[in-house]
Formats: sequence, C-alpha cells, structure tokens
Amino acid sequence: MSNVNISKLKAIVGDNNVIDSPSEMAKYLKGQGKPAVVVLPGNTSEVSNIVKLANEQNVKIAVGGAGVGTKGLSGGIAMVMSRMNRILEMDHLNLVAYVEPGLLHKEFLLKVGEAGLNFPPEPYEVETSSIGGCFSIGDSDSKSFEYGPTRTFLLGFEMVLPTGEILEIGNKCIKNVSGLDFIHFAVGSQGTFGIFTKLLVKLLPAQEAKRAVIGTFTSIHKANATFNTLIKRNIQPTRMNLLNASLAQNAIPGTEGQLVIIDLQGFKESGKNIANEIAAVLTLGGGTDVKIIEDEVEYDQVVNGWLKVRADLNGKPERTVEFLVGPAKMPQALTQLEALTGDLGTYPGVVVEGLLGYVCLALPEGTDKLALAAKVNRLAMSLGGNVKGLLGHKLKSEAYNDAEMWQQTVGLLQELRQQFDPKGILSPGVSLEA
Amino acid sequence: MLSQTVVNRLKEIVGEKNVVTDKVGLLTYGYDGTLLSGEALGVVSPHTTEEVVEIVKLMNEHNIKLVPRGAGTNESGGTIPTQDSVVISFTKMTKIHEIDTENFVAVVEPGVINFDLQVELEKQNCYFPPDPSSYKASTIGGNVGECSGGPKCFKYGVTRDYILGLEVVLPNGKVIQTGGRNFQSEPAYDLTRIIVGAEGTLGLVTKVFVRIIPLPRAKKTMLAIYDKVEDASQTVADIVAAGIIPTTLELMDNLLINTTEDFSHAGLPRDAGAVLIIEVDGYPEDMDPQVKTISEICNKIAKEFKIAQSAAEVDQIWTSRRCAFGSVARVRPSYGVNDITVPRSNFPKAIQGVLKVAKEYGVTIGVVAHAGDGNLHPLVLFDQRNKEEVETVHAAEKALCMMALDLDGTVSGEHGIGLVKKKYLDSEFTPAAMGAFRKIKRSFDPSNRFNPGKVFEL
Repeated sequence: MSNVNISKLKAIVGDNNVIDSPSEMAKYLKGQGKPAVVVLPGNTSEVSNIVKLANEQNVKIAVGGAGVGTKGLSGGIAMVMSRMNRILEMDHLNLVAYVEPGLLHKEFLLKVGEAGLNFPPEPYEVETSSIGGCFSIGDSDSKSFEYGPTRTFLLGFEMVLPTGEILEIGNKCIKNVSGLDFIHFAVGSQGTFGIFTKLLVKLLPAQEAKRAVIGTFTSIHKANATFNTLIKRNIQPTRMNLLNASLAQNAIPGTEGQLVIIDLQGFKESGKNIANEIAAVLTLGGGTDVKIIEDEVEYDQVVNGWLKVRADLNGKPERTVEFLVGPAKMPQALTQLEALTGDLGTYPGVVVEGLLGYVCLALPEGTDKLALAAKVNRLAMSLGGNVKGLLGHKLKSEAYNDAEMWQQTVGLLQELRQQFDPKGILSPGVSLEA
Repeated sequence: MLSQTVVNRLKEIVGEKNVVTDKVGLLTYGYDGTLLSGEALGVVSPHTTEEVVEIVKLMNEHNIKLVPRGAGTNESGGTIPTQDSVVISFTKMTKIHEIDTENFVAVVEPGVINFDLQVELEKQNCYFPPDPSSYKASTIGGNVGECSGGPKCFKYGVTRDYILGLEVVLPNGKVIQTGGRNFQSEPAYDLTRIIVGAEGTLGLVTKVFVRIIPLPRAKKTMLAIYDKVEDASQTVADIVAAGIIPTTLELMDNLLINTTEDFSHAGLPRDAGAVLIIEVDGYPEDMDPQVKTISEICNKIAKEFKIAQSAAEVDQIWTSRRCAFGSVARVRPSYGVNDITVPRSNFPKAIQGVLKVAKEYGVTIGVVAHAGDGNLHPLVLFDQRNKEEVETVHAAEKALCMMALDLDGTVSGEHGIGLVKKKYLDSEFTPAAMGAFRKIKRSFDPSNRFNPGKVFEL
C-alpha cells in the first residue's frame, strides 16, 4: 500500500497531470519498481509542493525527463519533467541560456544550432535525454578533451531540495568562485541533492567548419595505433573514436571491420591540412576506405551513428564495463585486455575514445560483470588508470588493500546525501555503495 | 600559546627546523595579499602526506584548529590565522612527482610553485593553463584552494577545469583520493570540484593530479588603444559576436596606462582612455583570418591598433599588464584589489559603476580587467597609515561589491572569499544556498577545525 495522497497531488498539478492507472503509467516508467503514481509538474512551485507533500507522507520520489527509473520507487512518486520544457532565454551577448530541465537534449541542440551557437555535451540517449538529465548524470564524453566535461557548461541553476525548499545559485558570469562550488558539485549528483527546475547553461559560438575522417581496419590494434601516431604528431581533433566491428555496423550500416571516426570541429582554415594528415596516418596505419567527409549531411550521419552506438551502451550499464588509462597506454591496455576477453575485434562491443584514453566494453551474455571489472581494474591500474566512477574507487581501494579509504569515501558520500536529504526522499534508485 | 608537549610532538613529526613558534617567525606567516594580519599559535611545515596526517591527528587531540597556507599571495585573507590556530605551511612539499605529456597529466605536491611547474612543462611542449598574475610565487595548492584564474580564462577556464584529482587529508585525519588521472574517476559525487575553491575549509590537499595540454602551435598578440573605455567594451562584444574566442582580452584604463608607463616605458599613449590586449591561439592557418576579423573590428573604433610582429613586441605589450598591480604604488603606497565580475554584457555598466564609486567616495580607482570574462580588478589606491582613509576605502570596496551584485554579478571571479568578502556572501547567495554550503562543510568538517571562519561561518 502506498501513502501517496492522489487527490492532494491533483490539487497541486491538476487532474490531467496525475496518472495512476498502471497501463497509462507504463509509458513513463523504466524498470521493475511499482510507483503509485506518475506526476507531471508544470512549474517550480508545483515541484516544491509535491516534494513537501512527499515529506509529509514519507513517500519517495524519483525524477526523469521523459521516463523515470523505478528502482526502489515502489509505492512512491515518479516525477516526469516533460512539461517543463521551455527555453526561457537565449542570451547571445553572454553566450548563455536559461532552460527548463524537461527540455529534450536533441530539441535544445536544434534550437542552439539555429541560434548559431554550440552546446557541446553529447546526449546520453539520443531521442529521450533531457537537459536536466544531462547535468544530473554529468558525464564526460568523447568531445571532452576539447570542450571539457559536461559540468563545464553549467553556470547556475534553480533546484528544489529534498525538503521542498527552493534553492537558486549562479549567474551569467563565466568566472565565478564565490562561496563553495555547489554549482558544479551538483552536476552528476543524480538527483540526490535536489530536483533541477531551471538550468543556466553556458554556450559557445557555433563551429563554422566541420569535417570527419573515417577509415576501417582489419585489426583493432592497428586502428588504435593510429591514435597514438596522431597524438605524437601533436594533433588533437575534437573526437577520436574507435568502434569494433560488432558496433561499427550500427554506426554506419554496411561497415566491415573496425571503424575509426575522427571529428574536426572548428579548424576553419587548418582543417583541410589536418584532415589530409589524419587520412594519411590512417592509410599508412593499415586503414582502408579512408575518407574525408566534408558534406554536411554525410558528416551528420557519421556523428549521429556514433551517438546512437554510445546511447545503446549507456542504456545498459549493467552490461558494460568502462575503464580509463592514459591515451598513450591504450595499445598495451587493449593487448592485455584480450587475455581476459578474447579477440576484441569480434567482442560484442568495444569503444575507444582515444583522446581520453577511455574504453567501454559491451559484455557477452552470461558474463559476471563484477568479476570482469575487478580484473579489468587491476589491468588498468598497472597502466596508471582505473575502472570508471564509484565502482572504480571501490576496486582501487580493494587493490590497495585500503578498506579505510573506501569506508571514508563512502562515509563522506553518504553523509553529504544525508545532510541534504535526511529523510531519504529523493532518487531511491541511486546507490552510493557500488 | 602551544604547550611544550604539543611543540615537542610537532618537532618530532616534521623535524626541529620545521616548527616555528617565535614571535618574529609567526609574524611572517601572519599576513597575505590583503591588509589583514593575524598571529598563529605556531607554524608547521610537513614534507609528506603521512606527516600531514600526524599533524591533523595531534591537533584534533588537543582541539587546535589548522589554517593551510601556500605562498600567502592570496587577495582574500584566506590564509590569515584567525581564532587559536596553527598554520600548516605546504611550502616544503614541492615535489613534481610526474609529468606525463602523452597522457596529458602531471602529479604534483601542493607546494610546487605554478611557475616552476610551467617551466618544467614547457620543456616538454606542454602547459597548465591557469596562470594567475601571482604565478611566479603562488603554489598549485594555493591555486586549488582559491580556484585561481588568470588572463587566459576566457578560452581556457579557471583552475577547477584543470584538476583531475586530489589526495586529501580530511579533518578526521583520514586520507582519501578524489578523481584520478582522467575525467571520469570521481566517486559518484564530484568531490574534486567541491574541494577546489573551498579555501582549505574541507580538507588539506597533499597531492594534485593536474590536466596539462600541449602548447598552442601559434599565437598572435594584438594591442588596441582607445579614447574611451566604452569603446574597448564595444570591441569585446563585437569579437564575441563574430564567433571568436580569444585566449585573452585584457583591459587597462587611463590611470593604469600612466602608472605602468612610469615603470615600464612600453610606449603606451598617456592620453588614451583604455588599452586592450587581445591574444588568439591555435593552428597557424587559423590565425590570419581571426586576426583579420579582429583588426576590422578594432579599426572601426580604436584610435590605434597593432599586431605584435616579434616575440620582443609581444613581451613589450605584456610588460605593462604584468606590472600593473605593482605600478600603482608609485601613486599611493597601498592598494586594495577587488575581483568583482559581471555578465559580459554588463561590463560597460560596471566600468561606469566604478567611476561612480570613485567619485562618491573621493577615492582614486584604477581598473585592470579580464574584459572577456566580465572580471574587473578595480584597484583602490590609498595610504594604509591613514586610518580614516582606510575606512573610506573599505566603504568604497563594499560599494563596488554591491554594484557588481546589482549587475547580476559576483563578488569574486577568481580570488576567493576568505575573510575579506565573507561579509557580502549573504547578499550574493540566498539562505538556501548558504544552507547548502553549510551542509557540505558539516559533512566534511563537523567540528569546524580546518580554516575556521573562512568563506562563511558554520
């Protein structure tokens, strides 16, 4: 039984924006949990009132842009932000925008593009990701070497805290070190500190020139080796990505072999020369079908193909292992990895983001993820890297045999969460224990 | 005063020479770049993380507070010992553990001087973009503490954007590592980001993983001279509108032009209202078109525009800017540095605001600014021996901060809050935001032992 008072919710957001029939709810929900109700607030004060109500009745809330993860949410409230989807302001002079969290990432990219501006973070999921989700997850992506990770693009926000209180912070200044940096600390907190209700986003001028160089390789190692050649030649493109054969066809249908995608944004005058140099490096490195793409439509197809592959992998975190080593260590990492995975070329999925030294493995059916992650972490650590994120910290502490560091870290994370959300209302599906 | 037991124990931990308790010694650690000063119970200079841990544990046993300190160049009072506290000086932790240019990371101890790191990096064709004007003296640990900026922020951002990870001694004496050698190693929450800029109130940083990047292949430096400051502001807006992101857009007003000329004889016209130093970097092929666009923009409105043709000319242009702060001492013996920041579009209004404050309070104010960032350094000139004048200056500085907040800005773009700007925080932040800061501080340091009373009161 749930404590949720449906009629009070309806009084806050209106009858039409409260959905409690299971069949209607289903299209907003992801996962096995059974929340009591889906609610779609239309503004900040509605969000705040819902959270206050949840506090009174001790009900949990999870939030999503278009869909809400239901882990740990049984009997709780699934809050869908899709009605709060406006661009409130696009400020060309200061290169910033105020947006609501439910705005779809892809819609925002469209509007930003039309305005002659650039918002670099890649959508986590191409069709359904929202801007609120973008900062709530707060990832890095394959463009982060050039532009910085997602957090770089948040200058402020309005947030409803787990108590229902409304917090506003930040301003349009691109330099701001006042107070503690709660602005960037909130990025990646996955809704545990509060619910974003408005975001002040930093933008850049649009890149006037865009080019891609692609090529295919029979060997994943040869493909990766070209990245090291490029770095040694002091070339840092916008993206430098490698997809193994299994994923390559999902990015560009018909591709055979390991696919290298190199993206050059900006480089207005220099781009032609750099593209030629990259193409030569790929060809000399054993690449076939090496191609410089300047046509806008074809360029977009390549980038969208990449984003689709990335989104597929993001969609199944329980079936992937992600790790990082420095870019220069990648050849060794891939070679050593094959002792654990077998031939990487035919593995269900391998992505290398060459500039970041990042690898994502899509695991075969039946793989014990945690066991593999522990082995991968040892391998990565021997090359100065680690498995990504919280899991990586746990594995690192285990490898150091340093239980104290892990306890301290987890203790600190939980204390922070507890300080913000003493009753444990928000984001029950987010675990800080790995 | 520290008990002899504590002093002896400190000496055991760090060695006899690395503990200071005499009056004269304490005095030298009692000030920073501001007018403030304080006296610590003692100063201790550890060499290793283990020593830091021992010191923290000892201080906890005796309920003594700790104030971390690098070179003490900060402009906010962040390293001033207040309350009964021991200063922990990181100037003995100066090892560069590793420079790994192929993997774009360097690992350093907090006491490494920014400039010393830059020199080593440059040998390998790399650099660490944050370069506060104090970079010849200030430490990386201090840069992390204050989240320092510098002239290159418009394109490259501030210190937080170049810190990949930290080793941190927490107030309970335990050591954690945040982040790592790459972007994606934070443990769920971005602990690195909250520690950067926290001015040592959350933890003591004992190791820093910094992001380094290759030196740009090419760079072009330009100088534009204007009759009026407003014209320079217009150039900044026009350059941004043209889709160009320069590394640098540095502005100096007439007063600074004259004081720097007295010192450097760089040949700036003394009757000019403002100069703007503009720098772009990138691939050689991309320089000329950008320079062309910028020169068209500048020539429309500037009284004079030139492109540096040689390294010597670049140096000549920068000499004026680099000596700006010191040069005002020729006019008056003391100056107060502010680092108010406003949205770029409000920059002209902020300049007018500074003039208004100068007039209303009858004080002399020169302006150096990172104009692209909307970050102004109004230098308020005075004589600190004149108590009455000092009062007026404080009032004027308050007015400058309030003016920035009225223009939707912030009281600090790159210097931090420390003690000096703490009193304005309630004007800048809502009670909910202040509450969030306190929740964070309580999570790290419930007993308020690290740099107590800085930034805000717990």
